[in-house]
Amino acid sequence: MNAPVADPAAAPTGPSGEGAIVVLDKLSVGFGDRTVLNGIDLALRPREIFGIVGETGAGKSVLARAIIGLLPPGGDVTGGAVRYRGRPLDAFSPAEAGSYRGGKVALIGTNAKALLDPVARVGDQIARVVRAHTPMDARAARTRAIDLMREVGIVEPERRARAYPHELSGGMAQRIVIAMALAGNPEVLLADDATLGLDATVQAQVLESLVERSRDRGLSVLLITHDLGIVRHYCDRVAVIRDGRLVEEGPVGDFMAAPATGYSRDLLDAARARPALQAPLAAGDRPPLVDVRDLTMHFAVPGSVLPIKAVDGISFAIAPGETLALVGESGSGKTTAGQCLMRLIDNTDGRIFFDGRDVTDLKDRAFRPLRRHMQMVFQEPYVALNPRWRVADLLAEPLALVEPMTAAERARRVAELLALVHLDPRLADVRPHALTAGEQKRVGIARALATRPRFIVFDEPTTALDIRVRAQIIDLIRGLQSSMNLSALFITHDLNSVRSLAHRVAVMHLGKIVEQGDTEAIFERAEHPYTRKLLAAELPVDAEPAAAAP
Amino acid sequence: MRTRDIWRRQPRLLRIVLIRLALIVPQMFGVTLVAFLLIRLLPGDPARLILGNFATDESIALYREKLGLDKDVWTQFAIYVGNILKGDFGTSPFTSRPILEDLADRAPATLELILYAVICTVGLGVTIAVVSVVKRGSPFDWGARIYGFAAGALPDFLVALLLVFVFFYLLGWAPAPFGRLDLMLNTPPQVTGFLTIDSLIAGDFEAFRSAAGRLILPVLTITIVNAGAVTKMAHSVFSEIWDSPIVGHMRACGVPEQQIVRAALRNSLPPIISVSSFILGFLLGAAVLVETIFSWGGLGQYAVQAVINSDYAALQGFVLVASAFILVVYSVADILYEVVDPRIRT
Amino acid sequence: MASARSSRSVFARPGLVIGLGLLALQFIAIVFAPWIAPFPPTEANPLDSLQPPNAVHWLGTDEIGMDIFSRIVFATRVNLLIGFAAVALSLGVGVPVGLLVGYYRGLPSALVMRFFDFIQSFPVFVLGMALVAVLGQEIWSVVIVLCMLFVPMFARIVRAEVLSLRERPFIAAARCSGAGDFAIMFRHILPNAMTPVIVQVSVSIGMAILLTAGLSFIGAGVRLPSPEWGLMVSSGAQQMILGIWWIALFPGLAIVLSVLSFALLSDEAKRYVDTGRGGRAR
Repeated sequence: MNAPVADPAAAPTGPSGEGAIVVLDKLSVGFGDRTVLNGIDLALRPREIFGIVGETGAGKSVLARAIIGLLPPGGDVTGGAVRYRGRPLDAFSPAEAGSYRGGKVALIGTNAKALLDPVARVGDQIARVVRAHTPMDARAARTRAIDLMREVGIVEPERRARAYPHELSGGMAQRIVIAMALAGNPEVLLADDATLGLDATVQAQVLESLVERSRDRGLSVLLITHDLGIVRHYCDRVAVIRDGRLVEEGPVGDFMAAPATGYSRDLLDAARARPALQAPLAAGDRPPLVDVRDLTMHFAVPGSVLPIKAVDGISFAIAPGETLALVGESGSGKTTAGQCLMRLIDNTDGRIFFDGRDVTDLKDRAFRPLRRHMQMVFQEPYVALNPRWRVADLLAEPLALVEPMTAAERARRVAELLALVHLDPRLADVRPHALTAGEQKRVGIARALATRPRFIVFDEPTTALDIRVRAQIIDLIRGLQSSMNLSALFITHDLNSVRSLAHRVAVMHLGKIVEQGDTEAIFERAEHPYTRKLLAAELPVDAEPAAAAP
Repeated sequence: MRTRDIWRRQPRLLRIVLIRLALIVPQMFGVTLVAFLLIRLLPGDPARLILGNFATDESIALYREKLGLDKDVWTQFAIYVGNILKGDFGTSPFTSRPILEDLADRAPATLELILYAVICTVGLGVTIAVVSVVKRGSPFDWGARIYGFAAGALPDFLVALLLVFVFFYLLGWAPAPFGRLDLMLNTPPQVTGFLTIDSLIAGDFEAFRSAAGRLILPVLTITIVNAGAVTKMAHSVFSEIWDSPIVGHMRACGVPEQQIVRAALRNSLPPIISVSSFILGFLLGAAVLVETIFSWGGLGQYAVQAVINSDYAALQGFVLVASAFILVVYSVADILYEVVDPRIRT
Repeated sequence: MASARSSRSVFARPGLVIGLGLLALQFIAIVFAPWIAPFPPTEANPLDSLQPPNAVHWLGTDEIGMDIFSRIVFATRVNLLIGFAAVALSLGVGVPVGLLVGYYRGLPSALVMRFFDFIQSFPVFVLGMALVAVLGQEIWSVVIVLCMLFVPMFARIVRAEVLSLRERPFIAAARCSGAGDFAIMFRHILPNAMTPVIVQVSVSIGMAILLTAGLSFIGAGVRLPSPEWGLMVSSGAQQMILGIWWIALFPGLAIVLSVLSFALLSDEAKRYVDTGRGGRAR
């Protein structure tokens, strides 16, 4: 157990939160008529790591912004107050507020690359914050910035300090943002989904160093996340927020063992892996439906002789009724492989067989009749739907691949499809922007199912969804797998969903498949070091799995 | 591979400049081709068109020979390019002088006017934009928005006439709109061609006062008309950055407001540079109207005369020089753009 | 009820009201010019020259005694005709060209774009002067000059949209659903690419009016005695120094108001689009 749960008795706080650094006292925040936070009571004690969990729209980010006194435009504190060491924030003078932000409480935001000034060197950006809180000359500030970079685990900080943000990886940029947060020597860090969008292995490293630094410096951390695994592994206490209200609060151990409310139980259940899949109906000796041999995709880089080897000679086969998970981190080439399979891009080398037929060199027109058997569910639900089309038209488009239909037949089929993915039939007349992310994902799945295909590529179907929505989508796909005897390629970086959805797993790293095998075998006895590293970076909500010590 | 490595090792600025210079050559070639075709595509005999109706048959025959009109189009183009490379743009039948000399005489007047005008236009436009974004919702912001709007609808010639009417006819503060310098004064010896600078070099403060005074109304006209467009553009660029997570993050880090403004301005610089260059190029053509009203005696007025007199050779020369100027301005802007934006790979 | 709500929202937007009002005035002037104008637009009456605004000549008369008000009213026909014709033609050519050039990469597309670069690297005004000088001072010459300007502009706008739209996942998704090139271009991309074009249309009409007036002002546009706003300002320019302000001022104001109306409408169109009523792909 590498994340010790603090003894609740060690940091006693009274009901009003004396001894706490930051206290939210019945805090309510509204945007016009809309109440986003509703009477939140919280106390952040010294040296504790406090997790805040909630789904999209729960008000987590607004909470962080309220604590730092920078609500988004249109937002107002409509009741209660945020107190820092007993003083309400609204009593601060502008100068005090300036030194409070970054000097007492620092915010670490999501998507570090979008937070950094793209035209300034990162070292100068850190130095800028240093000088904002401690008067010193430019050279001293630069030295201080380099020290901070070293402190957050950046190797060669002198050289990195001269880099511009676009020259850094996502994990490196996040470390820079953490260095900026530490630059004013604050007492409290607010980490608002700070590792969202980072690869699992990078996320683990960044969180590890964030928590370590905070413990070294004796800081309090408010870790805002939607990932219960993060809470389980790094937090001492946790609070659950739903629709702007505090649902429950308590020590992490107690919460994980026995959540007090039904909502929390739902969240925890949704985050757990499903029982393993049954073996596909058709057993191994039937010829594979999809057979990929030495698939290679190189992209030419302008101004460079060496191409990017996005996919570098991978082979796999998928039997009828079987789901293969293609697992890897960003840049591993897994999405490119899926696009080659769907003939959205032309692979440089290798062969693709579908149902025994070589489809590698088919032109778009010749390939089109095959599309009714091979479909794809795209990664980002919103951008994969034409924003100007109604749901009914989106679902009807692929039907042209099947056979000519009358309008009435088409309407009936659209209704069937909506029912198949558990969507309200009234959504047929709606355009995509009026749907929630989960509904958009369902429309994407329904569209892929419209032609009753035999094979579907699922590209990251569970990414960027809330815990419960993600669980619903997983359950939906599991249902389809068993009812339609579907073959599928399941492209993902989410190991948890692999357990629930795939019969077999292929692990991709830098364009190559490093290991391939049955799901259970991979999770129990991974052989390749990269696979083990990937598995170790997973932060499951259950305590048992092997992920314990790094 | 090796050459690429050598290339990579050069300083970024040098690489940017070299790439731009390499691009100028084919572009210049294209511009020349268009200027050539402009006349070639006219119905009728180019020699007669260029020399005008009063030319003698003899001179026309001579000109035909010079242009090689009996040969095919590409040979003619080659001859034309050859002549231009020798600095021979032809002779204007109206001023009876080599066109290149005519253009060189008039260029400083126009350049002085539009350079000052661009500085004022961009300076005013960006300032208004920044203040109105930082003080969003204030009366200043509203005023700026209305101005940004209305300025786009103002014809420059009308503004110029109204300024003359008010400041010269009604108030008598401004000099009459006749040229760059009081007729009673001597032109200072030419160094830069800019009267405001040459007069200072010569130590002739009276000439300086007169030259500067006569610049005010035309520059003001151009600024009033064009700063609105700059305001609008700078407003949208600056406010996008002002509302971005970048500024939010700086604020959350406790960076002082004035440094945030400076960083946001630095981020808006690349598009502002492009727009400035665009305006500079645009003004070379658009200043024609202002030049006419203030009898400025610059390139624009020369071009208008050429059009009115059907002086096609002069027009061709002007088009060529103006396009070359714009090409250079755009190239310089591209270089600056790449220099100030580290994200652009070279 | 729905109409009551929409009419209230119309009046909540002063820009929209003013823009539409001015546009309506211009259409009235175009349609009813002979009934509105007290004098024929080209009738010179030297005995009545240079009269300041009075009861007979509401906005005064010019050097040769033509009634300024009548000429302004009739000029609406000329100026708006040129503006509308140029923008309509440019849309008809520029949008399909932009769509094709954006969708199909390759040498032809690259050549078309280079060609546009050349056209646009000439100073707008000088190009216009030269072309009108070459083509002859006719209304249609001015329209062609404006087209030279607007076709590359519209094509570029559409192309930029197409370039970004064609990489969107929803295009790949449409391809998976069996859409061919034609369906992708016209059913998926074009409707999403039109938004910025629509915003630009109104601005362009205003630009066209300004440019037409400018060309006429320096004598490279419409010829006398045709009633045209720029030409009228030009004929009053010399008098301005002598304090005779009405000849140039009133047609100048007509230009300002006309251009303003189109700018206002374009701004409203932009706002409508930006608030996401159309569900933009962005």
